[in-house]
Amino acid sequence: MDLDMISYLAKLSKLNFTEEELKKAAADMTSIIDIMDTIKEVDVVYNPLADNKNMYLKDLREDIAKDSMETEKILQNAKHSDNCFVVPKVVE
Amino acid sequence: MDVSQLKIRQLREMLDKKQISAAELADEYIKRIKKYDEKLESYITVTEEIAKEQAKTAQERINAGSASALTGIPIAVKDNICTEGVKTTCASRMLENFVPPYNATVMEKLNSENIVMLGKTSMDEFAMGGSTQTSAFAKTKNPYDLNRVPGGSSGGSAACVSAGLAPAALGSDTGGSIRQPAAFCGVTGLKPTYGRVSRYGLVAFASSLDQIGPIARDAHDCALVLNAIAGCDSRDGTSSRVAVEDFTAKIGMPVKGMKIAVPKEFYAEGIDSVVRDSVLSAAQKYKDMGAEIVECSMPSLKYAVAAYYLISSAEASSNLSRYDGIKYGHRSSKGDSYGELVCNSRSEGFGEEVKRRILLGNYALSSGYYDAYYGKAMALKQKIRAEYEEIFKICDVILTPTAPSVAYGINENITDPVKMYQADICTVTVNIASLPAISTTCGYDAKGMPIGMSIIGKHFDEATIIQVADAFEKNFEAVPPKMV
Repeated sequence: MDLDMISYLAKLSKLNFTEEELKKAAADMTSIIDIMDTIKEVDVVYNPLADNKNMYLKDLREDIAKDSMETEKILQNAKHSDNCFVVPKVVE
Repeated sequence: MDVSQLKIRQLREMLDKKQISAAELADEYIKRIKKYDEKLESYITVTEEIAKEQAKTAQERINAGSASALTGIPIAVKDNICTEGVKTTCASRMLENFVPPYNATVMEKLNSENIVMLGKTSMDEFAMGGSTQTSAFAKTKNPYDLNRVPGGSSGGSAACVSAGLAPAALGSDTGGSIRQPAAFCGVTGLKPTYGRVSRYGLVAFASSLDQIGPIARDAHDCALVLNAIAGCDSRDGTSSRVAVEDFTAKIGMPVKGMKIAVPKEFYAEGIDSVVRDSVLSAAQKYKDMGAEIVECSMPSLKYAVAAYYLISSAEASSNLSRYDGIKYGHRSSKGDSYGELVCNSRSEGFGEEVKRRILLGNYALSSGYYDAYYGKAMALKQKIRAEYEEIFKICDVILTPTAPSVAYGINENITDPVKMYQADICTVTVNIASLPAISTTCGYDAKGMPIGMSIIGKHFDEATIIQVADAFEKNFEAVPPKMV
């Protein structure tokens, strides 16, 4: 895997890497992809219908509104202010 | 009193007969944790005060004569299971200070039995690994040899049970994370059928594969814990409505006439001879008990590791996208824009192996590669399921090694991700096929390290694999680790 590809994946993953880390990640991913490539030799096709045979839509629970978690609890693990999550300025 | 090797049933009897109080029992384990865990590092958080409080309530229930199977029983909990008010770190810097505002369903169920929680156990970061050496906080050791790994990812849970720092623990299993550490640490670990136990409150790794299950001193104790945690949950749409039976119901029934499959690929090259010989010797013991050993084949096993890593990493890359540093989890002090803050928080919070899985998952899902990798892996998942179905047409259970080797030395494998991934060959197909499996000790190598074998069952047939494991355990002399 080349550095362009690993940089693209890092961007998709929202992860920062130093130049050194990128080189190591590229080398690791190359060996990992080598194992993953073994599946290319198998002649199989995915059948999406077969995976859904155990899903029973009739079993869904009733769509009834219930009390949700208190705002205070939802915010307890976050930087917050005035009952809202705090984020960096998004709009100039 | 030495509680280190006592089973849940023995503790139950002692509690009910008032030979020990719930508080005294909790105290015995807390004392052992204080004495041994500095070296073992099986716990990330010890909840001594909570244990004392819970022991009081449990004792009231015992005194009232309304105790259930687990009332007053001390239990440890893997640190990826949400515990209200108690830090749940997933062994990651990302969740170092995360205090869940709610309990996982399994915790609600255990609390309704009035268990006594001893603490939260270490694991590989976000359950990604088989050594517990990727933990950001406690790199657990193997109680049989402190220079070796306990396995993983539920290494803390397996090690603390093995060393007698808890009689039972909860783990989670996405590709072998209950069974392999149970094998490495000489205890019994049960991965239930997918959907048997609610995943609500289990920090998600790969949602189509994850399942919570017990690690205990034997199969019977695993059944008692499974009895308490199994069942449909409206908060987990993938939990099953299949009726929950008494998982101890078949214990003691003979295995005579039972057909036990031995798929040849699980005993081929890559499996250490000491492991192969030990599991085949266990097969012979079943034969001596009157079971029939049936040789069979699983041709797709050689593709299982690739299929597993593609599916699990794809799901992980999606699941872990929720960690943005905003709603909970590590928030970087650097970043002037929203995008920068997210990237910095994730880069500082996640460890190397987690980042590797996210990269792999995004690769498998990215445009131009999706069909070749993720699509093909999903097709292989169906093929592996079909191969299991064929075997189960003629057999009752399947017997395999749990891991290709005994526990390896600390720092071996961990620097080589390929070697680390390939070590999962014996366990991943069970998750791919959503089946239940139990690992129990079947022997020891020349250095006294435990060897585990797995008994795989049909969907929702946990009672039978518990019966089969129990039949072996009753005729096997387990050797506890020397450190206890």
